[in-house]
Amino acid sequence: MSPDPVVVTVDQTRCIGSGLCARTAPDALALGPNGRAIPVHPTAAPSHTLTEAAEMCPVEAIAVHHATTGELLAPIW
Amino acid sequence: MTTAAHPEAPDAQPLVPLHCLLHAEPGPPRQAALPTGTPVWVLSRHADVRQALAHPGFGRATLHAPDAPPLTLTPNILDDPASMLNSDGPDHQQIRRTVQRAFTPRAIERWRPWVDGVVRELVDELAASGSPADVVAALTKPLPVRVISRLMELEGLDIDRLGHWSDHALSTTAYTADEIRTAIREFSEFGYQLVVARRENPGEDLVSSLVQAADQTGGVTEEQLTSLTIGLVIAGHETTMTSFGNALVYLLDPQHADAWRRVGEDLSAATAATEQILRTVPLGDRTSAPGLLRRAVADVEIGGVLIPEGAIIACDAGSANHDPAVYPTGPTDLFSPLGAPSLTFGAGPHHCLGAWLARMELELGLHHLARVLPDLRLAAPVEDIAWRTGLLTRSPLRLDVAW
Ligand code: HEM
Ligand code: HEM
Ligand code: SF4
Repeated sequence: MSPDPVVVTVDQTRCIGSGLCARTAPDALALGPNGRAIPVHPTAAPSHTLTEAAEMCPVEAIAVHHATTGELLAPIW
Repeated sequence: MTTAAHPEAPDAQPLVPLHCLLHAEPGPPRQAALPTGTPVWVLSRHADVRQALAHPGFGRATLHAPDAPPLTLTPNILDDPASMLNSDGPDHQQIRRTVQRAFTPRAIERWRPWVDGVVRELVDELAASGSPADVVAALTKPLPVRVISRLMELEGLDIDRLGHWSDHALSTTAYTADEIRTAIREFSEFGYQLVVARRENPGEDLVSSLVQAADQTGGVTEEQLTSLTIGLVIAGHETTMTSFGNALVYLLDPQHADAWRRVGEDLSAATAATEQILRTVPLGDRTSAPGLLRRAVADVEIGGVLIPEGAIIACDAGSANHDPAVYPTGPTDLFSPLGAPSLTFGAGPHHCLGAWLARMELELGLHHLARVLPDLRLAAPVEDIAWRTGLLTRSPLRLDVAW
């Protein structure tokens, strides 16, 4: 059974376009033409790289939520 | 005390406080020249600056390539090709990822009690010393070095020497090229010894965790690790001291007396005011460069202008921070939220690593000073301020205050 999908969001106001997330989790996040990150797909499979990207964002613009329960999965610690 | 940069010659015109500097109206990219004569495209609109700083078509590594035109008149630490700031793409991300974890908003938040303790100590000592006092010597200058020293566990080491080195490392004209080279060499040796010592004998401090993270990830050279370590000491020194000193020149103006009280009564007011001050009070006169420098590694179109490969751009965050397309015009409301992030800490891959630490130092510094001394005022007229000018910065050499 595959793990439950997650929803990735990027706060477009906070994002300062470091590109760290796109480099860390290229399947899930990409840098848009305006220099802000955007999710590649509306939902994604959870992964270590995605969690890492959300934890590493210099301005905490990324949030990873459980697609059905809405629980915040990353960043948390 | 370290010897700070030489003050103005006595016959010089008084310099205006930084918050009174005129900034160029944001507009399309325009051509200008660096003090070395090198032509440069200056970007001044918020959208253009943001886009350029985040664009992979512009880099910092090629600013120092053999074919690069001259950028500064004297050597300085920002030219160090091993530094994080002067690497691009995957090389840069490799180093940046090693340190980023220690500098996310949450990671910094965990240090709040430490920073708070350092600030209270300095403010209480200042208040106990009696009126009048020099707030630069007592607070704005020692604060950043004390904080980073505590995070790196450099206590017991010679903090004055650290201050002396970082003064030189960022100087433009205050020291000779030889003096600067010597200081940078000594400082690098110190950094290298520190890296070696913490690898052998790791603790809970920032240097130990950097060394461990670098060794685990691999691919970070000893040179880069050293450069990073001393880079953090300097970054904690000059920028924060400058912002803090200039924020005080601004806030201690009698017309802001109410704002000063509010900053002391309410920490969240201090947080908001810090953001607005960081946005509106520039760090320096930008005489050595009209903005954050990048070099085009491909032809790139920005703001309707084609910047050709090899050209130098300067991103003028000071103008962009006043762009009427993004921020309200007219007098600054110190307590309103910013909306769009200001470009004071840059943007893109090199966005200031220490941004959250700097914010915390400033907000706690302003808050506790205004809380303990709500009637604080400048002891001498603003025109009499002696200024310290660095590579990118200008701030009061001393600032006498009374209460
Ligand atoms: C008010 C205080 C500060 C201001 C205004 C400031 C400003 C900046 C700016 C504008 C940049 C980007 C330069 C560029 O893109 O060309 C930068 C980079 C950097 N800052 Fe700060 N800074 C401050 C405090 C600090 C502190 C306290 C630290 C460290 C503890 C720090 C560490 C760094 C580092 C390491 C970089 C290079 C990042 C990279 O290349 O990835 N800064 N800073
Ligand atoms: C890893 C270490 C860091 C390096 C190599 C570095 C370098 C730079 C550079 C090159 C710029 C833009 C300068 C330009 O090209 O116009 C900048 C912005 C700035 N950096 Fe850093 N930075 C780092 C951390 C620091 C350090 C070491 C300092 C020393 C205080 C610093 C102070 C500043 C200041 C004052 C600005 C403001 C630029 C402005 O808006 O005028 N930052 N940093
Ligand atoms: S890591 Fe954060 S700031 Fe950087 S591009 Fe991704 S979302 Fe934006």
